[in-house]
Amino acid sequence: MNDALAPNGLNPEPRTLNPFPALNPEPRTLTPFVCLLLALLAAGCRRAGPQFRLNMEGRPPESVSQQQAKAITEALTGLFGTPDEPKVSTGVDLDLELLRRASGPIAGAPGGQERGLFRRQCVTCHGVSGDGAGPTAAELDPYPRDFRNGVFKYTSTRGGVKPIMMDLRRTLYRGVAGTAMPSFAQLPEEEIDALLEYVKYFGVRGQTELYLFQMVVDDDGALPLDQSQVMEEGVLPAAQSWFEPERRRAELVAKPPPRPPTDTPERLATSIAKGRELYLSTNSQCTKCHGPEGNGQGEQSELYDDWNKRKKGETPERTAELARFFTLPIERLRPRNLHEGVFRGGGTPIDLYRRVCVGIKGTPMPAAGSAPGVPGVLSDEEVWQVVEYVRSLGGSRQ
Amino acid sequence: MRSKLTRRRFLAGTAAAGVTAVGVACPAIARAAEGQWGDLVGRFIYDGKAPERKKLTVDKDVDCCGKFDIRDESLMVGPDGGLANVFVYLRSRIAAVSTAVEKSLPKRVVLDNRDCIFQPHCMGVWYGKQEFLIINSDPVAQNVDFKPMGDTPANIVLPAYDAKKSPDKKVEATWKFAQAQFAPILIKCNYHPWESGYILIRSNPYHAVSAADGTFRIAKLPVGKLEFQLWHERVTYLDAPGWPKGRCEIAIRPDRNDLGTIRLAPTRLERKS
Repeated sequence: MNDALAPNGLNPEPRTLNPFPALNPEPRTLTPFVCLLLALLAAGCRRAGPQFRLNMEGRPPESVSQQQAKAITEALTGLFGTPDEPKVSTGVDLDLELLRRASGPIAGAPGGQERGLFRRQCVTCHGVSGDGAGPTAAELDPYPRDFRNGVFKYTSTRGGVKPIMMDLRRTLYRGVAGTAMPSFAQLPEEEIDALLEYVKYFGVRGQTELYLFQMVVDDDGALPLDQSQVMEEGVLPAAQSWFEPERRRAELVAKPPPRPPTDTPERLATSIAKGRELYLSTNSQCTKCHGPEGNGQGEQSELYDDWNKRKKGETPERTAELARFFTLPIERLRPRNLHEGVFRGGGTPIDLYRRVCVGIKGTPMPAAGSAPGVPGVLSDEEVWQVVEYVRSLGGSRQ
Repeated sequence: MRSKLTRRRFLAGTAAAGVTAVGVACPAIARAAEGQWGDLVGRFIYDGKAPERKKLTVDKDVDCCGKFDIRDESLMVGPDGGLANVFVYLRSRIAAVSTAVEKSLPKRVVLDNRDCIFQPHCMGVWYGKQEFLIINSDPVAQNVDFKPMGDTPANIVLPAYDAKKSPDKKVEATWKFAQAQFAPILIKCNYHPWESGYILIRSNPYHAVSAADGTFRIAKLPVGKLEFQLWHERVTYLDAPGWPKGRCEIAIRPDRNDLGTIRLAPTRLERKS
């Protein structure tokens, strides 16, 4: 089974990465004769569609038995369907019609609507499985997002909370500055809706998969799986984590107060000066990563996001050893050089306010603003002052 | 994959007066008798010479943190061999929790950033019933980062505690968990990479962390056969004698159930490569 894992994502396509090839048999090339024969026998010759590959990230192949992999695969297929035919379980508030438009092979449909939007627009980078390991992924820095653990960096929601749809929509509209993620603003609104629904689907499915791995493999759960337990402990909490932020916006979405006026050079200078003071203070700890000069050269040099942190061993040898169990090589995180004025989550004042206030999910950048139960290190006004300072480093005058 | 051990044996070391010998068998599930409760106690001993605790590299906020003797906490062995920080928790799903336990349980589980380490290093919480409170007693800002699976991840900052200016005012952060975890999860500080801790989040109060002398106690378990899990940060599931993959089914009887001394050879606590 070892050879089924792609070394360092050199060819991170589902066909080569599937660590359990027997479970997802590759479509066989049928000879014309056999095809004709089958066509005659079954009035058709259909290729098996692509399958989602199991999320084996960080797991030695031998740590998962064939029986366990089969149980997880079957449970996921039963609950969520396949890349060609998605399914939605009762209690999971996903729109199946939108999912159908986003999924499947690229094709037209009656009424002029297209199917296969994800494969048309996203799959080259994000992969059929939404694992951020499409054919181009290994060449990109940063890597494309792996949707499966449901963590998205740039949100308006409080620390740790899933994004609201507007956050993901914003990313699709604008792209991610300084990365390979382009803007999809030219797409019709309903296609954006379909793609966003599919991203959410990857999140709910992926979180359920992580739960199943913990339950079946790590915790040695009994097989066959108890379907009601999987729903109760896996699927529904995963779905709920996605729908809660929309339902509890008042509590979970940071609402920036109006930006203090900076309409005169004096007011702006005062705000920037206060922001600088806060930036350099030991309470905000901004300098730890971004450096006192704001050039991203802080004392914390060994930084990784959550997707890469697990690839880091205690020694270089261990890191090299771990690399075998991941699709893509380890990638170090570089704290933003604020002088460049390029901000991945958006460079408008309100974007920067959100980054400072709620942090960047899945990275060491913490939430400096307050949240229910968490006082934070910066008041609303102070967050704005830090934003003014950061903008001034990047050359913004307004 | 679950072990098919069916043997039944009685652990040695339960000879203290008034102690009920504990029947241990793996596995088999039985129902707890209604309204009867028993405590589970025991002690972990590291059966060898404790390795010297390595001094950790403290190269951030050195003015404050540099003055503490900060050492590796991954294997804490007491003077007479008691092994601390072993998690013992109920693995079986249960129908009822003793109301006495619920009433007597502290409302808060506190994680203190003190002397540039997390104190305590290991802790358990009954989510929904106990609040997780994080405080900072250090004069530098601290960060607390943990990622419970399927639950909201946390990455929060606590401002420095100013003992001179406002001695009574420590900033407190409270965190609510919404889901139980199969095993303890790691707590890290992104500012001070040497800091680490572990928290177990469960949907019942039946868990304990062994104390500095290696002892533990889980109070008022429902009587009947229950499966328990041992976990230690060095090896995750702690494979102890009679506890394959750190698991064992124990027939809990009313009152006190003493597992006696569980001796752990050093090889059982060697990190997995």
